[in-house]
Amino acid sequence: MPHPAFPPDPADLDRGPRWRRKVIDVPGIEFEPRPPLSAEDFRPDSECDGWSAGRVAVRSASVRGDRHRYYKQPRQDSVCSAFHDSAGAVIFAVADGVSNAEASEIGSTDACRAAAGALANQLESGPGALDFVQVARYVSGTLRRRAQTMLNAGSLPGPADAGKLLATTLVAGAAWPDRDGVSVRLFRVGDSSAWVLNTEQGQYRHLFPSPAGDEEVLVSNEVTALPGVPETLEQQSLLVVPGQVLLVGTDGFGLPLGDGDGAVGALFARHLVSPGSPLWLGHVLDFSRETFDDDRTLLALWPLPPDGTGTV
Amino acid sequence: MRLGSKGDQMPEKRGVLLPAYVVADESASMSPHQGELASGLASLCEGLRAEPMAAARIRLAVLGFSDDAQLRQELSDMRSIEVLPQFIIRGITSYGSAFRDLLSRIPRDVDQLKQDNYAVNRPVVFFLSDGQPTDRDWRGPHRQLTDRESNRSAPNIISCGIGSARADTMVEVATRQEFAFVAVAGADIGRAISNFFQALTASLVSSGQAMASGQSTLILEKPNEFHLAIDEV
Repeated sequence: MPHPAFPPDPADLDRGPRWRRKVIDVPGIEFEPRPPLSAEDFRPDSECDGWSAGRVAVRSASVRGDRHRYYKQPRQDSVCSAFHDSAGAVIFAVADGVSNAEASEIGSTDACRAAAGALANQLESGPGALDFVQVARYVSGTLRRRAQTMLNAGSLPGPADAGKLLATTLVAGAAWPDRDGVSVRLFRVGDSSAWVLNTEQGQYRHLFPSPAGDEEVLVSNEVTALPGVPETLEQQSLLVVPGQVLLVGTDGFGLPLGDGDGAVGALFARHLVSPGSPLWLGHVLDFSRETFDDDRTLLALWPLPPDGTGTV
Repeated sequence: MRLGSKGDQMPEKRGVLLPAYVVADESASMSPHQGELASGLASLCEGLRAEPMAAARIRLAVLGFSDDAQLRQELSDMRSIEVLPQFIIRGITSYGSAFRDLLSRIPRDVDQLKQDNYAVNRPVVFFLSDGQPTDRDWRGPHRQLTDRESNRSAPNIISCGIGSARADTMVEVATRQEFAFVAVAGADIGRAISNFFQALTASLVSSGQAMASGQSTLILEKPNEFHLAIDEV
């Protein structure tokens, strides 16, 4: 082996202690991720993003699950965030492509972009103009048109047929600074979800709880997904105040989190006290725990003090 | 994504598991094929160990049935099994004994997994027999076992008939028509048993892969030299 001119600083090695993958309970198997089989639609293993605008800080990360890394499949989760300058609002969307849809990674990407575009259009008239039913219908139409193109079909496929190709969940909404914090409005289709983390107590409040007593004995295999649009859209409005963080994530994050009172909840409560490096969020989100090998996506949004301090 | 929306409501889970039960006929007529049964179990174990990511999601139990049902291996992580279970050839072919055993065993196992903080997929039973039932009252416990209203842990049953097991009986045993298989006419029984275990391994690996939180749907591989029993009924 030749000697490198500049040997790496041990502290910088990606396998060094700081960047070693975080393990909770029993780790999953260790292996080098494999590339997706199809190179047609380039899609990175992981992505992360972060910025602040006005009194809102945003961080997001999306990491390919170990199952997809092992079996040469692309990440099916997507996330996007943007700032609407004239409305002074943050737009966000998180989507999780349904595994048994053939091109769900395209579905989740399209759903995020279409939702962000529709929200931006509505925000031209201010936050009061937000109409999530219209946004969901627009996303549904976008997915169906994409399916029509992919299928080379003469007519627009119905939601069920388009769903076989592109089915995806979606959580999307907008947030804007208010006198006491950040006002948020959001909606969801499917089992991606949102929480408010109280950083002082380390407690999570689920914004889309299931009805009490609805816990199933066995894991269900039913999910609502776009391009189907449910008759009643799940929506929430809330104020996120300093000391709280809005979290929007796919079930790859939500399932291991549970109600947040375990080791996974503690991990994120420890690392989400303030908006840190987006790369670090991606690293934390990529924790290893046996059988939790789905894609994971998390978008976090903090209210900042008026002077803009509070970021790391 | 995982198909299933209630997980995020529950306390933190250690993982999502698929309980699987291999239930094999130990009646006297299986005596010439004990070697294939043993090698089938060995290949099942090897196959799962070769797919550690899928195997991590599977908990497997092995039962033999004849005059009664006997546990050969309790629900276990096959990656940590050191001694392979052995089938013991005995007397008659009491289907009812197998279903009565599963009726009490599966809910107990599911409860235990949940107490251990796992989320649980619908259990699956792989049922193998080379003959017709010698008991007449097997349908009662079978109905109780598979009724999802009264038994919230009701399993999916995949039935595979070889030798003199009839197609219409396999269709009755399976929980869906497409879950019932019979070996093609004249098939070598020993080879059919090997094929059964190969398909069982492939089904478990595929289902384990798909479960990730991807899908909780059971993925079934048809054994070679078997066909759907419904095609014969």
